[in-house]
Order: sequence, then structure tokens, then C-alpha cells
Amino acid sequence: MKDILSLFFAYAKSGLKTRFQYKLDAIVTTFAVFLREAAGIIAMYLALLKFDTINNWNINELMFLFSLIFITYGIFIVFFMALRDFSDWIKHGDIDRVMLRPRGILTQLVMCGADWLAALGHGTLGIVLFIISANSVGIEWNAVTIIYYIVTIASGVLIQGAVFLFFSAISIYFIETRSLKEIMYWNLRRFAGYPISIYNKLIQTLLIFVVPFAFVNYFPAQFLLRKPDMAAYPEWFMYISPFVGIVLYVIAYAFWKFSMRFYKSTGN
Amino acid sequence: MNTYIQFAAIKFRNNMAYRFEYLMGILNTVLNFIVYCCIYKALYGGANEVDGITFSMVTTNFIISLGLTNAFSKNEMFLQDKIKQGTIANELLKPVNFKFRMLFEDMGDGLFKVIFNFIPAVLIAMVFTQIQPPAGILNFTLCLVSAVLGYIVLWYISFIVQTWSFWLFSVWGIVTIKNVIINICSGALLPLWFMPEPIMNIIRFTPFDSIFFTPVQLYLGNLQGCEILFNFARQLLWIVILYFAGEFFWRRGIKKLVVQGG
Repeated sequence: MKDILSLFFAYAKSGLKTRFQYKLDAIVTTFAVFLREAAGIIAMYLALLKFDTINNWNINELMFLFSLIFITYGIFIVFFMALRDFSDWIKHGDIDRVMLRPRGILTQLVMCGADWLAALGHGTLGIVLFIISANSVGIEWNAVTIIYYIVTIASGVLIQGAVFLFFSAISIYFIETRSLKEIMYWNLRRFAGYPISIYNKLIQTLLIFVVPFAFVNYFPAQFLLRKPDMAAYPEWFMYISPFVGIVLYVIAYAFWKFSMRFYKSTGN
Repeated sequence: MNTYIQFAAIKFRNNMAYRFEYLMGILNTVLNFIVYCCIYKALYGGANEVDGITFSMVTTNFIISLGLTNAFSKNEMFLQDKIKQGTIANELLKPVNFKFRMLFEDMGDGLFKVIFNFIPAVLIAMVFTQIQPPAGILNFTLCLVSAVLGYIVLWYISFIVQTWSFWLFSVWGIVTIKNVIINICSGALLPLWFMPEPIMNIIRFTPFDSIFFTPVQLYLGNLQGCEILFNFARQLLWIVILYFAGEFFWRRGIKKLVVQGG
């Protein structure tokens, strides 16, 4: 374990150094990511000046909901960037190199590199939204809620990690999976920022049972905020995020393990 | 002129090769459209109109601006890649105006996307929700004309930002920031009817609302007589200003350009 951690720090150090080689460019890029992700919320903020609430959620509650998405993504991308870009790894034959090294393949992939600028951009946005909203949405921060919140963040990272583990397993067979990721992750994530109760049944089902973003932010936020639109869903949905994360990850891992047996190098 | 049209035609044909890509493009537009419809449906909360703006006006605004955003999307790293790889040296030697060539290639792209991306997306979206028909044939024609002018405004803003790659290490960040500003201020993310008055007063002095919002207003027939002329004049004025600004940066950039190796 100790040596895996040292692997992580070694990679992190060189990764950060590379990214911040051109300091001004790195700062502008980070800010651009921050702003790109914030655009939807800025538009929402302006719209709510006119409309006040969306399905009884006010702007602070909405920002709290959004913050969970961005904080979990910011942490997720530190560990799972290699899985996000797994089809490129396969295309360029980089996996062969990883296979030859004396550590587990997935261990290396998880430890080997983070998209630091994305992590900073998304993470900062998440933290800013959290700071703005945390004290104005009526959450009483005590031992229970703080532990619940930390578990929620961890589950959110795990759920998204599992989703990308699935995608990378699929790219072993199909190599290019960009469109799949575009539709099943990025588009659904755009849906997930808002209270899912505003959508029709089909989209809700997708967000709860297929790519369970609802367990990353909506249901945990409901535990803390108790909005009336929770009545449409079973009460226990608010408590199972960690189990969703763990179960999904175990299944994804098994599928990935199984798929790796079919791995064929794409060439030299 | 014929040469440039050929550039556009080649781009148009190139696109035909990536059928899967454009199917995904349509799906993307439609999904984005659905998100906005759901959000505004929830915001309207059953009300028929807010401030005289009906729900179907909002959805029409979104389908037109999202469709045009998608149709107008282009490779904004084009110039930077050419400069980084040094191939710009060869491009400049060719007996064509590089800038017009870029414009026409992008227009070829845009035309392809309007036909195979925007129109199908509109047709699919019409199944989900009500979209207002154009206020009349004349309004529809005016909308098309102003959409073309809006495209040129958008293209020149993008071109100006791209020319900064003569000076900067990478323009990706600035391009992204520019797109955020355009998305918010042009009404693509928030219909400009709902933009708070103080911000709207600033936007009136920028080219942003003449990109998508002018075509939308013309389509819906919200502008009358003099207002129509005024809006067209504004679009043309911005094209002229942006043209000279673009020319300024382009000339400076070319003078500064040093290509290392071949």
C-alpha cells in the first residue's frame, strides 16, 4: 500500500509540473474550465431572479445540488482520468507498456495521472458553490450530517468511477467509445444538475437505474434538504448511495477483469 | 469566388463521411433541448405566460439558438494548429486569401450541419413540444437573412480570438471563455427576455445579441418596421467593426510570425 501511494505522489508531482510548465496558460485553462461549467448555473441564477424557484427549489438549494456533482467530479478525475481516456490508451497501445510493469493494471491506471486542470476547475467550482450555499439552505451541520456528507462524496466518486470502468471495459471490444460516453455520461450529467423531479419518467429512470447520477447528488441532497418533491420516490433511496457505489464498482470491476482477457493490442 | 466555393463544397462532402458523428450531433442537440424544455416547464410551473412571454416562445428561442449553435460550431483551434505545426507557411504561399478560405470552409461545414443536423433536430423536437411556426413568410425570410449575418458576426469573433494564437501559447482557454460569454449573452442559455435589465443594457452595446436573438425575434415577428431595419443595421455595423478588428490582428500576427523548420 505504501509503495502504491508513493507511486501516486510521484505521478502527481510530475503531472503537476508538466501542467504548470506554462503557468499563465495553466491558470487561464483552469479558469476556462471553471467558467464553462459555471455557465449553466449563471444562467440559472439569472433566470431565478425572474422566476424565484424551480419546483420549489431556490437558487441556494440548486447550487448545493450542483456542488455535489462538481466536487465529486473534481476528486473523481484525480483518480480515474486514465479510465476516462482509456480508449486512447488502447488506440495508442499504451496498455501494453502498463501490462509489462510489476503492478496491477488497474492500480497503475488509477494512480498514474490526473487531469489536474479539470480537477482544479471542477473542484473549485464545487467548493465555491458549497461555500455559498451550505449555510443558507437550512442544513444543521452536526456529526451525523457531516459524516453523511463525507460518505456521500465518497459514494459519488465511486459511482462515477464504476461508470467509467464500464466504459473502459466496453472500449476493449469496440476501441472507440467517445459517442457512448458523450451520451451516457456527459449529457446525463447535464440533466443531473437539476432536481430530477422536473423530468419525465424516461429520463428519471435513466438517472436512477441506468447511470445512477441521482445517487450522486439528488437523493443525498434530499436527506439534507427534505424538499417536498422527494415524496415521489421511496424514502430509503436517500440512504443507499454508498451501496449503489460499492455494488456498481464490484460489478464493473468483474466485467473489466473479464474483458481484459479479450484485450488485443492495436499494434506497435 | 469559384475557388472559395470549391473549398466550401469539399468541406461539405468531407462531412458526409462521418455519418455516425452527425447522428450523435442531432441526438446531442435534441437532448440539450429537452433539458431546457424541462427546466422552463418547471420554471413556468403551469403558467401560460410570464411577462407576456409564452412557453412556446421560450422553446422556439431554444431550438433556434441551440440549433444554430450546433450548426455554427467549428474547429476553433484551426489557426493555432496550423501555426504550431508550421504548415501555415505553406498555406500562405498558396494564391488564395487564407482568411476567406477559412470562412468558406467553415461555411461549408455550417451548411452541412444546418441541413443534416439542425433541420432533423427541429423535426424531432417538434414531436416533444410545441414550437411556434414563423410569424409569416416575410418574417421567415428575414430570419434566414439575419441568421446568415449572425453567423458572420459569430465567425469574426471566433476569428479574432483565433488570431491571438500568434502571440499566445494556447488559445484554448480564451476560446472557451469567449464561448461562455457568447452563450450567456446571446440568449442561447437564457432567453434574453428574462435577462435582468441592467445586464441587458450592457448587452445592447455588444455584438452578442445580434447572433441568435435577432433571428429569433424576427422569426417570432416581435419586431416591427423601423426596428427590423435597426436590427439589420446593427448586425451590419458589427460585421464591419469586427472585420476591421480581425484584419488588424491578422496583419500584425502575420508580420510577427516566425516559423521554425518546415
